[in-house]
Amino acid sequence: MRRALAIARYVLRAAARGLRASAASAAIAVIAMALALLLAGAFGIAIGNMAGVVERVGDRLTLSAYLTPEVDEAARTALAARAARIEGVQDVEAVSPEMALARFPERTGVSAAPVELVGENPLPASLEVRLRAGDRSPEQAERVRLALEGLPGVAEVSAGEDWVPGYTRALDFVRGAGLAIGLVLAVATLVIVASTIRLAYAARRDELRILALMGASRTTMRLPFLLEGLAQGACAGVLALLLLRLLFVLARPAVEASLAFLADSAAVRFFSPAEAVALVAGGALLGLLGAALSLAADRRA
Amino acid sequence: MAFGAATPTPAREPLVALRHVSKSYRAGTYALRDVSFEVGKGELVFLTGASGAGKTTLLRMLFAGERPSTGEVRVLGHDVARLRRRTIPALRRRVGVVFQDFELLPRMNVEENVRLALDVRGVPGREARARVFSALKQVGLHQWRHQDPRSLSGGEQQRVAIARALVGEPSLLLADEPTGNLDPALTIEIMDLIASVAARGTAVIVATHDLALVGRHGRRTLRLDAGRLAGDAALERVSV
Ligand SMILES: Nc1ncnc2c1ncn2[C@@H]1O[C@H](COP(=O)(O)OP(=O)(O)O)[C@@H](O)[C@H]1O
Ligand SMILES: [Mg+2]
Repeated sequence: MRRALAIARYVLRAAARGLRASAASAAIAVIAMALALLLAGAFGIAIGNMAGVVERVGDRLTLSAYLTPEVDEAARTALAARAARIEGVQDVEAVSPEMALARFPERTGVSAAPVELVGENPLPASLEVRLRAGDRSPEQAERVRLALEGLPGVAEVSAGEDWVPGYTRALDFVRGAGLAIGLVLAVATLVIVASTIRLAYAARRDELRILALMGASRTTMRLPFLLEGLAQGACAGVLALLLLRLLFVLARPAVEASLAFLADSAAVRFFSPAEAVALVAGGALLGLLGAALSLAADRRA
Repeated sequence: MAFGAATPTPAREPLVALRHVSKSYRAGTYALRDVSFEVGKGELVFLTGASGAGKTTLLRMLFAGERPSTGEVRVLGHDVARLRRRTIPALRRRVGVVFQDFELLPRMNVEENVRLALDVRGVPGREARARVFSALKQVGLHQWRHQDPRSLSGGEQQRVAIARALVGEPSLLLADEPTGNLDPALTIEIMDLIASVAARGTAVIVATHDLALVGRHGRRTLRLDAGRLAGDAALERVSV
């Protein structure tokens, strides 16, 4: 145990010495990795906020199932009950033609006066279906739409907020792109660490040869490099986080102003503490992995 | 972590035993051919022969830097031919090595260079500092322990290397042309230092092509000639 501790202390000292010896290349690596993590983090924040917008406007996301004229009031109530049992539906409101007419101006911004003049109500009865919170994706809306169309007496189904499916598709796209870019950036980070550690390793070949002659175990010789990678990654993570926070504070007012039309509460949010820790831990992990990759490439060591 | 775990050395097994050892780097040529000898505890043995005779190859086998092509090499109870890679460090922690070009590390002072040998053994700080100090004292360099080794003379650098080899209290000390880069006065000083190590119970094998130096000590001498053991005897003591 004492021996393991002494070796651990040696490994820490060797890693620190190594970082000092290659301070310039380590600093460049940290900055490059920080930029990669910054981009990835910016995507993360954007995606988080876009998803938040969908959730917030979600209670406006309703489907209207228009009923055929033959459906009477009793049948309408029965249909509403059946629709409410569809997976993903939060609640269903049965709307009579009269109610529809009463709501017409509010919903459309167009006066109902002409209809009243004609004296005959052209609006059909409908079921107003709200989707369950936390599960308001276009796919879910589509599933519910198909189920509603399968009900007897339903003539046509239309989705409420027209922009939402498009927006959610855009969100999906951004999410996918973010994932792809995140992957590319992760690989870039790995390559940066791996090549930096590779350089450090080459610079210390003599030292390693001598250590091996003195009976250093493979682990004792390699751990400092893994630690150096880990430290570089973690530093890059912290740096990226600080820069992100700075950019966030600077950009926030403009972004919030431009989003104000969407919802009353257009507060843009930063990473939660857990997400911030995850960014730094992710950087550290990538650093460790990059160093491990670089050492694995050297089979003779 | 196992510490130096090895096949226990039987009571009277020699520290080093070679039996019909041959080493061939390239088919058809031999760096060593059918070499057999033993070295016991506390023995001082010189290994001589012209350049290319196989001295370095032989020493390398003794710290598992090379495996024999045929024959058996036993060092401190380990069978070098069958040694697993993971076990090599355990053997090396019991063998000190000294080279012609010192192999000290820049960017570390004298003390840190010597300390490295204890670091890889996991010797805790306080004990390590005391042992490094006494090893440096033994070679007369304790006052220079904070110096950059490159600021020292060749003889002093070699003394640092010897301190580094000895601080781990090895059972076997190997020196490959330790005075090859030193002028005659320093050569004698370093050789006497190495010889004094054997007097304290560590087996010492010194490879050198400097016959006069060997004669001065009048000790057992293994003579290699093109890879073959051409002689194993105490050389006549001669004055230099
Ligand atoms: N790594 C190697 N690869 C190929 N040949 C080698 C190697 N090391 C030594 N030799 C050859 O083995 C022979 C013995 O070399 P060496 O052990 O270095 O002799 P010495 O130390 O006595 O000068 C020489 O012919 C040398 O060329
Ligand atoms: Mg040689």
